This record gives sequence, structure tokens and C-alpha cells, in this order.
Amino acid sequence: MAYSVLIVDDSPVMRTFIRRVLALSGFEVGECTEAGNGEEALAMLSTHQVDVILTDINMPRMNGEELLRRLEADGVLKKIPALVISTDATKERILRMLALGAEGYMSKPFTPESLREELERVLGDRNAGDRNATRA
Amino acid sequence: MREIEMQPELEQPEQQSPPEQQSPMDQVLQHVAAEVLETMFFTEAELADCEHTWLEAASSARIGFEGSHFGEMLFGLSAEAVDPIAASFLGLDPAELTVAQRGQVIQELTNILCGAMVSHLWPESRLSIASPELTSWQEWAAEGTLHRCFAIPEGRLAISIRLLPRPHPPGNES
Amino acid sequence: MALSSLIVGISDCKVTRDAESVLVTYALGSCIAVAMHDPVTKVSGLLHYMLPESAIDASKAQQNPFMFADTGIPRLMDSLKAAGGEGKRMVVQLTGGAAVLDSQGVFQIGKRNYLAARKILWKAGILIAAEAVGGEVSRTTRLEVGTGRLWVREGGGIERELVRKQAAPKAVERQ
Repeated sequence: MAYSVLIVDDSPVMRTFIRRVLALSGFEVGECTEAGNGEEALAMLSTHQVDVILTDINMPRMNGEELLRRLEADGVLKKIPALVISTDATKERILRMLALGAEGYMSKPFTPESLREELERVLGDRNAGDRNATRA
Repeated sequence: MREIEMQPELEQPEQQSPPEQQSPMDQVLQHVAAEVLETMFFTEAELADCEHTWLEAASSARIGFEGSHFGEMLFGLSAEAVDPIAASFLGLDPAELTVAQRGQVIQELTNILCGAMVSHLWPESRLSIASPELTSWQEWAAEGTLHRCFAIPEGRLAISIRLLPRPHPPGNES
Repeated sequence: MALSSLIVGISDCKVTRDAESVLVTYALGSCIAVAMHDPVTKVSGLLHYMLPESAIDASKAQQNPFMFADTGIPRLMDSLKAAGGEGKRMVVQLTGGAAVLDSQGVFQIGKRNYLAARKILWKAGILIAAEAVGGEVSRTTRLEVGTGRLWVREGGGIERELVRKQAAPKAVERQ
């Protein structure tokens, strides 16, 4: 199954980093779209089929928390799993984002391998591929 | 006269004091710098003497934060380190980097350092972090500023962080 | 049937597709062992390098590229490809990088070796499947070519298999 991924982060190079991890992780990524803030993300979601959202929090115009709030309020969009990837690792923020329906929370800095693991947990490892599995 | 609410000051770092005498905030700064640079930039940061002539030509960025704490952070990376650091992060050869990517990596490194720093310093707080802006290095007054220089194999970096007086919203002026 | 051992020394590298063999390297202190295995063709390689960057001694790197991460790892990957290994399928595991006093008296070289491997592999487009690195003990590593299983012995301890870390069952929180 090919996943369509939406990456939401105001840093173009962080979006590139995440895109690279996706490509190297063994997931079959169909379409990978990007947005620089929550507003752009909502616009993307109105025109693209998205299977998973990876979102930062601190962004101009509309931050990740407001984005999640809007997604949660939408009967269709709330079903799309969202993984938060943020520098904000304060306890209250993490709890609020999880309460808003985030499937997981990764704090920056993170290694490519740890993002892969978290993606596997959120997506399931159906498409991780044999090359990433060490059989016991 | 407008009253300005003062926030708790940052503790002053000891100059070149042994680790056991460094303030908790100083230790957090060192720990965070090391963790960020090792995890996503594959390099090792070690505390270095503060000699600032290189900062004039450094690539620097400033980032503000607000909420339960109000302040800003300044980050500087020596000129010779920009290409190797940006290339490491993106998994590219230095020759493949664009001008835009160099600046964006500096901004994102500043963003990650600031976020990690404030999250470690004030984990129970409620904060939002602004977008980082490229700027030239500024020497902030020593009082109220936590500042450290680091050496990495690729060059040098400097970090300054300070809390600022929180401005009251309009209407509270006396 | 007994497996035949192919010993990889310090600053050394071996590549094989013989499914009846095991690649072994000993005395991994601050050095890093990079194990690579193609689960389809069984082409496997084990590199044991000492130092992160060849720029400190280009002539030595010329004589023996396996002494350094930045010359050894690309050479290992080229050899695997020449032997029929597919880059995208490679399962890569790292061991070593301990903080031990090496011949130059430098404690930090283990970490630098580890960071060098991570940087080079990220640039090469390879994610690490599993690792047993750091600490303060010397390690022995062996890679079974037929199965891709990697075994590590730390200090005088028992040998254990290095298995890829599974995803945590709940949301990740900062430690």
C-alpha cells in the first residue's frame, strides 16, 4: 500500500530531512506534499488525499496546535493520523497535542532511525520491507 | 511610567569553571548543544575559550520565545563550518548546497537549539517560539546573558540566551 | 555443518557471499565495525576501522583505506555492489565506538568514529538497522552470512544477538 504523506513545517530544510527519512525507511510513499504552516496544510488537505500528517508546532500564521484542533473538529480529517515533530518538549504541550488527537510526538533533535521507528508505529510496518527487519 | 514586569534572571556562567561549579543553566546549555549537534548534524561540540574575532564573519540567527518566559537566543556558526554542517544535515556534498539551503540550515539549527534549551530549562512552562531570523552577531551585555562558545571539528559556534523584560499589553500603563 | 570463520582484523574489511561463513572481528574498543548484509543475495561485508577522517594522514589512507571511516565505508559499499549486493536492500549494523583509552590516549575517538559512520551512512542514503555502541567495554562481533544475524560479545559477557529495536507501543516523550 502506498502512503500519501503531508509534511507541515515552516523550515524547508527540515521538510527535506523528513522527506529523506521517509524515502529511506522502506515505506512505499506515493505522494509526499509539503506545507509551511497550518493554513497551507488545510488547503492541501482540501485538494489531496492524505494518509498521514507529520506536523511541527511553532509555525507562523497557523501553528500545529491550531491545525490539530481544526482537524479534530472535522469528521473526515480527524481520521487521518497525525505525528507531531517539534522542538517544543514541554510537558504541557505534549499532553495538549496528544489530547487533540496526535498519534505520536517526536521532539527535535531526533535521529533518522528514531523517526523511522515512530513512523512504523504510526503506520504499521506493512511496507517497511525485508531489508529493515532482522529476523531472530 | 510604564511598569515592566521583570522575570527571573539567567544565572551568570562562571568563566572556565570546572563542570562541578557550573550553574545548572550552563550545564543545560552545554548538554543541549552537544545533543543537538551529535543527533542531527553528526558532529561533536566541546566547550571552548571565548575568543570572538571570528564572529564578525559568522553566519548567525536570532530567535525569540514567549509565554511563561520571554526572551531570545542568538546563535553564530563560523564561516568555514557552514558548508560542512549544512551538508551533513542534508546528506549532500558541500558543492551541492544552494545559498538558500545554507541560511535555512542555520535557522533550523537555531530553532532546534532554542526549543531544546527552553524545554530543558523550563519543562513545566508554556512557551511559543518564533521563527528564527538570519542576522549578524551581536554582543549582548554580559549581565543577564548566558553565553558560551564551542569548538566543533568543522569550526566554532557561539550561543547567547537572555530573558527580557516582559512588555505589558496596552491599557496597563499608569 | 560448521560455519567457517573469516577473520577481519583492525583496519580491515572482508566481503563474501558464502552462506556457510561467518565474518568475525575482535577487539573493538574505540573502533567501529560496520556490518552490511543483503538478505536476498546474502552478499555480506564487515569493516573494522580505527579513525574517522583520512585527511589527518592521506598517505596512510592511500595504503590502507580501511583505517578510516570516510575511505573505508565507501570502499566497503563498492565491494558489496561488485559482489552482487543491492545497496537499497542492505541491512546495516554498527558495533564498537567505546570510550576506551586507545594507543593515542584519546578517550573521545570512539564517539567520533560513531558519528563519522552515522554521517557517511546518512549521506549514502542508508539508515542503521541496529547498533551496539558506546560504553566502556571492548566488543567482539560476528555476522552470519547465511542469515544476516549479528552477534555481539561485550567485555567478558555472553554473546547476544543484535536485534533491530522495535517501535515503542505508545507516544514517544522526551527523556
